[in-house]
Formats: sequence, C-alpha cells, structure tokens
Amino acid sequence: MIAAALTAVVLLAQTPALSEDCGSDADTLAREAETLLAEAGPRPSAATLDRARRLYRRARLLSPSAPFSLRAADLASAAGDEEESGDLLSEAAEGDPKLVSPAERLILARRGEARRQWRDAIAQYGHLRAALASDPGATAWIDGKIGRLEVEVEAQAISAPTIGQAPPEARLALADGRRALAVGDLPKARERLTLAWKLSPGYVEAALALAALETRESRAPEAIRAYRDALAADPNRLEALVGLANVLWDEPDRAAKEESLSLLDRAAAARPDAISLLKLAATRWAEWGDAAKALNRIDTFRRRAGAGEKRTTENFRETLARRVDAQLSGEAEPGGGPSPSEAPLEGASPAIDQWKIAQAYFRRGDPASLASALEHLGEAERLDPAFARAPELAGALHEKRGELALARAAYERAIAADPSRAATYERLALLLDRQPGREADAEEAWRRAEQAGSSEALFHLAETAGRGGRRGEALSLYRRYLAESPGGVHAEDVTRAIAALESSRRVSVLVLGLALLFVVLAAGAFAYRRVAGRTFEEWLREEPARAREARPIVGRLRHEVLKHGGLLLADAANRLSEPDPEARRAAARLLLSRLFGSRGREGRGGLIHQASDSFARLNALAEEDGHRLNLERKDRLFSPIAEGCRVLRGLEPALSRIAEDPEKVEGNDVRHVAEGLRRAAALFRSNTGAEVSRLLDEASSTRVRLSELQDVLLRVCAEKGVAPPPVLEPLGQLLRDSSGSIAVRVDRGDWDTIWRNLLANALDAAGAMPVSEVRLGVSAELLRDPVTGAPTARFILADNLPGALTAEMIRGRAADRGWGIVADLVRRHDGTADVGPAPAPGYGKGVVLELPALEPEGPP
Amino acid sequence: MSRVLTLLVVEDGTEYTDAFRSLAATDPRFPIELVRAGDCEEARRVLSERSVDAVFLDVVFDRTPPERLVGDLESEIRRFGGDQRRAERHLAENQGFYLFNDVAQLLPEAVPVVLAYDFSAEPERLTALRKRRERLSGVPDGTPIFRVLEILSADI
Repeated sequence: MIAAALTAVVLLAQTPALSEDCGSDADTLAREAETLLAEAGPRPSAATLDRARRLYRRARLLSPSAPFSLRAADLASAAGDEEESGDLLSEAAEGDPKLVSPAERLILARRGEARRQWRDAIAQYGHLRAALASDPGATAWIDGKIGRLEVEVEAQAISAPTIGQAPPEARLALADGRRALAVGDLPKARERLTLAWKLSPGYVEAALALAALETRESRAPEAIRAYRDALAADPNRLEALVGLANVLWDEPDRAAKEESLSLLDRAAAARPDAISLLKLAATRWAEWGDAAKALNRIDTFRRRAGAGEKRTTENFRETLARRVDAQLSGEAEPGGGPSPSEAPLEGASPAIDQWKIAQAYFRRGDPASLASALEHLGEAERLDPAFARAPELAGALHEKRGELALARAAYERAIAADPSRAATYERLALLLDRQPGREADAEEAWRRAEQAGSSEALFHLAETAGRGGRRGEALSLYRRYLAESPGGVHAEDVTRAIAALESSRRVSVLVLGLALLFVVLAAGAFAYRRVAGRTFEEWLREEPARAREARPIVGRLRHEVLKHGGLLLADAANRLSEPDPEARRAAARLLLSRLFGSRGREGRGGLIHQASDSFARLNALAEEDGHRLNLERKDRLFSPIAEGCRVLRGLEPALSRIAEDPEKVEGNDVRHVAEGLRRAAALFRSNTGAEVSRLLDEASSTRVRLSELQDVLLRVCAEKGVAPPPVLEPLGQLLRDSSGSIAVRVDRGDWDTIWRNLLANALDAAGAMPVSEVRLGVSAELLRDPVTGAPTARFILADNLPGALTAEMIRGRAADRGWGIVADLVRRHDGTADVGPAPAPGYGKGVVLELPALEPEGPP
Repeated sequence: MSRVLTLLVVEDGTEYTDAFRSLAATDPRFPIELVRAGDCEEARRVLSERSVDAVFLDVVFDRTPPERLVGDLESEIRRFGGDQRRAERHLAENQGFYLFNDVAQLLPEAVPVVLAYDFSAEPERLTALRKRRERLSGVPDGTPIFRVLEILSADI
C-alpha cells in the first residue's frame, strides 16, 4: 500500500505533462496506449514506449487497478527502468496477488533482499510459499530463507552500541561531579556531569549520574532526557531502564505511564535475579488497572521469593486474582505498552552488523539460534577485536547455555577490549556471585565496576560489606547508591538497609556506651579496692595500742601460712611433677589436706582458712576503731599473701582430680597446678613475716629515755602540788648514757600511764615526808629470757619511802586504783610487776617491771 | 649426704613430718629416717632409746594439752601474776624453745637442731640461744623443706 501511494504521488507530479489526455477515462487511456504499441510493432521506439507508459500512469491515477500496474511494470521493464518495473510489479501483486506468478514473486523477494527491505522480502517469500503450497518439498528452502530474513529484521531493530571508551577528561569530570554530589554541591555536580556528557556523548555513566541528580532535584524533564540519553547509549542498562521507568511513572500523562510499565518489564526480564522489580511491576500494573498482568508478575515474584515475602504479598495476590475474575466475566484488558524507543543505528565498527544479528538470534533463545549467535559474535570479534560488545554478548550467551568458564573468559575478553565499560564488570561480578567460593573474585569485579561508574556495584559492595560486618563501609556505600541512583532498582532495599544499619549503629553506640560505663565503673571499683582503705602500717600508726592485739594474729599467720606454706608448696610442686602417679596422688592429697583441710579438724582448718581467718580478725580489730583495712589489695606486706591464697584456691579442683585419679589428669593440667604452687610459694616468700613483726614493734614500742621519765615526774608533781619536785636519779649505766637506750614493746600511751601511776603512788606514799628527803631513782637493764632468749627490759623504780609494798598489793585487783592500772597494763603487754630490793644504797625498796623489749640496735 | 639421716621431728601435728616424708620419698639426695615425737616426753623417750642425727623442733604446740607441755608452769603462773591461762598460752606458743631447752641437754653437741622460728629479725636472740648449743638454726619464713634438710644434714 505504501508503494502504491508513493507511485500515485509521483504520477500526480507528472500530471501537467499529460494535459492532452485530460478528460479521458482510465480504460480509454489504456486502450490508447495499447493502440500506440500495436502500431509500433514488436520493437517500439523509446518515444512510443515513453508515451505508452505515461498513458498508463494517467490511467492508474484514475483507476489504480492491479492489471494497469502489471502492464505498466512490463512497459517499464521494456524501457529498461527496472526500478520502476519492480515497484509497479510489487504494486500489482499487492493489488491482486493472483495476478503475480511465483517467478515474479521470487523476483520481488530478491529485490526486497537486495534493498535490505527485510519485511518486504519476507512477505514475498511468504506469498511464494503459499503459491507453492501443493509441493511442500519444494518450499522447504523458503522457510529457511524467511527465518534468516526475520533475524535480519530483528537485527535491524537493534540499536548500535556506542563505540569506544570515554576520554580521560570526561571520566575526570564524572569523578568530580560524583564528589560534588556526595558533598551536596549540586550546582557543581550538574556542571561537571553535563561537561562529562558533552565531552563524551554516549558516556552512559555520565548520563546516569546526571539523571540521578535531576531526579533528586525533582527536575523531571531533565531527568527523563538524561535517562533517555543513557538508554540510547546502552539500551539494556538496568539503572537507566528502572530510573526512567520511575520518573515516567510519576508523570501525569498516560503515555508516560505506559512507557514506564514497558521499561519496568524490560528491566525485570533483563535481570531475573532482581525480583523486587517484579513486585514493583506488579504493583504498577495493578495501579494501571491491568490486573492480569499484575497477577502474572506477582506470581512470578512469589515463586522466587522467600516465605516472609510470600506472606506479605498474599493479600495483594488475592485482590488481583479477584479483579482478574471480574475482568474475565466481561471487562476487556487494557492493551500492552508501547515498544521501547531504540537508538538510531550507528555503524562505527565493522562488527556491528554481526553483533546485531547475533543479538537477534540471542533474543530467540533456542539452542540453534544461540549457536548461530555465537558464530556471528565470533565473526564480529574477528572483524573488530576492540568491539567489546561482541565478547560481552558472547559471555551472556555462554551463561545462558550454562558454560560458566566460557562466559567468564568472554567477559574477560570484553574487559580487555574496553576496560572502561561498567556493564561488563557487572556481568562478570554477577556471574562470579553465583559461583561458590568465588566471593572474593566477585567483590573485586564489583569494585572494578564501581570504579568504572556502576551504581549497581555500590549496592552489591554494600551488601558484601554488610555481610562481612563492615557496617560503616556498608552504610557509606548504601548512601552513595541513594545519592547516585535515587530511583534505582535497589532504592527500596537500600533505604531499608540504611535504616537497619543506622538502628544497629545506634544500638551499638548504646551498647558501647554501656560497656564503657561498665568499664569505668569496674575500673573505679578496681581502683577503689586497690586504693581505698588503710594498710596495716597506716592503721598501726594511728592506733598503736592495737599492736598488742594484732601481734598474736600476725604470729599465727606467719606460723601457719608463711612457714608451713613455704615448707610445703615448693616441694609439693616438685612431687606433683614426678612420673609416678602414686607420688602425684600422695602429693595432691597432702596438699588438699594442708591447704583446704577440714576446718573442724583439730580446730584449725587448712592454710587457706588460717589466712582468711587472720585477715578477718585483723579487719575486725580495725573496724572497732572505725578503720577499714585493705590488706588484700593495697597492703604491700599482706597482699602477696592474699594473692597466694587466691592462687591456691584456684588449684583445688585440679588437685582433687589428681588425688582421685592422677592418670586421668592431663600433663598440662598437672604442670599448671605445679606452677600455681610455685607461684604461691614465691608470693609467700616475697615479704617475710619478720617485716610484719617489725612493723608491729615499731608501732607499739617505746624507746625509754631518762629525760622523758623525768618529765612525767614533773607533770605528776605539778598535778599534786609537790614543789620543788624531786629528782629521778638514774641508777645504772644504761639510762645515764644517752646513746644507749632500751625499747620496750609498750606503746607510748600505755608507757606514760604506767609511769604516771607508779610515780603518783610513790608521791602519795611519801605522805608528810618533806620533799627534800624523798629519793626516787630508776634503773634499766636488758635481759634475755633464759629459755626463749627473747629480750626483756627490767625497770626498777627505787624509793626511800615509808610503808610496806608487796607484789600482791601491786598485782591484786583490790589494790589501790593506781597499782591496779599498772598491773593491768603490764599484764596486757606480757610483762610482770613485782616488788624487789633496792638496786642501790640509800633506797628502801624497788618496784620491778619486766616487759618485752626489742632487740637492741647496738651492743646491749 | 652419704648415709641415711635419722631425723627426730617434734611437733604437735604432722605437718613437718609429712613434708619431710614427702621430700624423702622423691629426692634421692635426702635419704632420711623419720622419727616423730608429739611432745617433750615422747622426744625424751626416743632419745633414750636411740640416737638421732638431727632434731627439728616445731615452736607452737597449741594442739597439745597443757599438762603435756614442758616448762615450769608454776613459775610462769607466778611470772604472769597468777594468770594460769596466760602462763599456759605462753608455754604453748614458745614450746619449741622449752623443748630445745630440755631436749638439747640429752643430745650430743654435734647433733644439729633446727627450730621452726624465723630469727632473721632477731639475730641476737639466736646468738644468745647458740651459747647453749652452737648447732642451732632457725627457719626463715617461706623456707622450702629441702633447704631445712640441707641445714640438718650438713656435715653428716
């Protein structure tokens, strides 16, 4: 019909030349032409032929019948005008197919092929096949011909790809633009991205980035234009398909929405793994009013989705199913969407035609077509090794055939041909993602895709980072994805992921904060335990009188823990290391008995109990004075003992196992126990008990000096109004020599009290005796206990006072109050008080005090 | 040490005896024969029956009944102003010294005696006691049992 119309137009244009024929009808004109030709004979002249052709043109104008066209075709052929002859023959065949013979059909078909008018050629071959239908064997070749021509038709419809990679300036501008986009400098981003596109028209990444920017800015027309540019450069680019679909869907006009639906379906078909596209498509088809298509897509989605997603779409599917039922009962379904616009053909590479044919075969999908496609792609690669689309399509084709290694090799060839093409990296990465154990290779491919400008890669890298626990990196990548591809295929998933990550981060921060608080509190508690409280030394310095009560506790600690522990532990550790299991068993039993033995056993319990008990008793003493001791953590003398006990406590389970069955206990466990014992022994040795005793002595001892006793006498005289006070005469070398001294194990307070009472009683005993006649003298000497060898200080207060004084009077409770106090204090300090002879002439008697003393510093 | 050491251990429990026995069972350097006495009377009996190469004396005998403690209790009571409990406690806490005072007289001069007392802060006290018996030693706190045996077996 189109050919006929064109011919009519031509004829009309020639009408003025036929003015002489005006007013004739078509048949008259035809007869006139035939008359001319008949008169000219079998070989008419060119002028006659020309005249006859014009008459027939006029007749066809008045009556466009097929016979007139057929006769005109014959005349054109006779005149050597094969082009017009073919056109007219075609017109005649179109007007009345029966007029055209099979041979003429074949001529018309060949003519269509020669002109690359594939559809016309297919139609002619179709008529030819129909004309020869009575002999199927004779038409088999026509079927093959038609099949190949249909591939040509499809190939013709395929856009030629953009060739070559973007120049460095364009890539630089794109990178600048993305950076500006990331920091929110949108004007600069737009300027740089536009520049990238201008520097390299067809630079799909630049177009996509620009489209994303415009979408973000709600500049729909600009966004649509940029997406269309991207699709023109790469018709199968997923981000472009989805991005454009989303922007168009928001447009008010119906055509835009129809195109949007079509694009979405294309995207879903291109990426079967992105099932969210199916769900989105279902939703939009439903919104559009086509429940059947929506149902089809949601069913496909649900077949691939997980249980949770199936549940959430259950109601939606039911709704769609009801709507479809309603439509089947009378309503017509809306028609399908328009075909996508395709970019115009470009022919920069000699391989493009082969690639397009391969593409057409690829779309058919049957094994034979795929094989043919591979042949064409091989030819395309041979023709232009730099044409990356050919190996890339070969990769996709191999994937479809399950030939993953070949697919990977093909993608590698495509990358070698064009390292700047993000889509190839994406395909390679998706391929590797599906192969177990190739996660690292896949991630690397995604990284290269990202470097080439793929927003899709950002999503996959974010997913990988999230799975790897790199939350910060995942969050950053997701945000970049949203910034660069706000309407992208994964936008919904990304938004959810960001929300989840931010929530997780808030929880992490909270947990971290709590952990930090816990650490601070624990550190505070630890510091408090280490720093708070007093040491044994500090306590005694403030409460020296407590030394007397602390001494036996410390003595027991030294004896039971330090001495017994020291004797036992190191050797027991050696014995535990013996190869003989019975030796180990015996050692373990001995240790258990000594360290943890029954507390009721002979009233003692084990070493650990003895230590704990000693610590508890010292703490209780200090608490009576309002002090809190920190022997376990702070005290340099006691903390090693506490630590040693802690170590020993930890060994009890292992020791019990060894004692029960030494052969069942691993060598490492036995070594651990032995090491623990040696460590405890070392801790017990680290501070000897002698040092603790020295502290007690220092705190509770008083170095005796004559001058200080004289001061006490002066104070007593002052209190009693005795004046002038008598002199306390030194009796013996020790007190005369100021360099020599005696230290008694009596604290200063008790020492003064003892002497105040002794001297006061003496003055009281003087009675009416004149002061000038009163003689008081004091002697001191250091003795040693004949049995224990312990140093003892003997003091004698001599006087010449009247009246009898006996030991019973001093020691007895019924004695005068002063004597009672003296007796009590002396007893408390493990001393004795007695009455003896005067140590020097001129004195009547002497009160004798014997008190424990410290070892003299110099020779006694 | 070339021959078996006969060691008399006088203690109110078995701590030292067990420790010596444990070491002797595992360390071939110290072949010892242990003889234990729980108080002074037992120690005297042992020494009357056999000779020993060394003597180890515990100091505190607070698990021993007061009547079995050696020492002049009456004198101690007098010393502590009639306080019998104090006197008994004094004897118990210093029993090792009283044992030394008593038993040492029964021993040849060459027999070493180790008293389980740390003289490290009271060297003069040890010196004073050594006037009665030169081969007297103390045991600093934390001393391992093998070290005690080394002291006891010296020159044997």
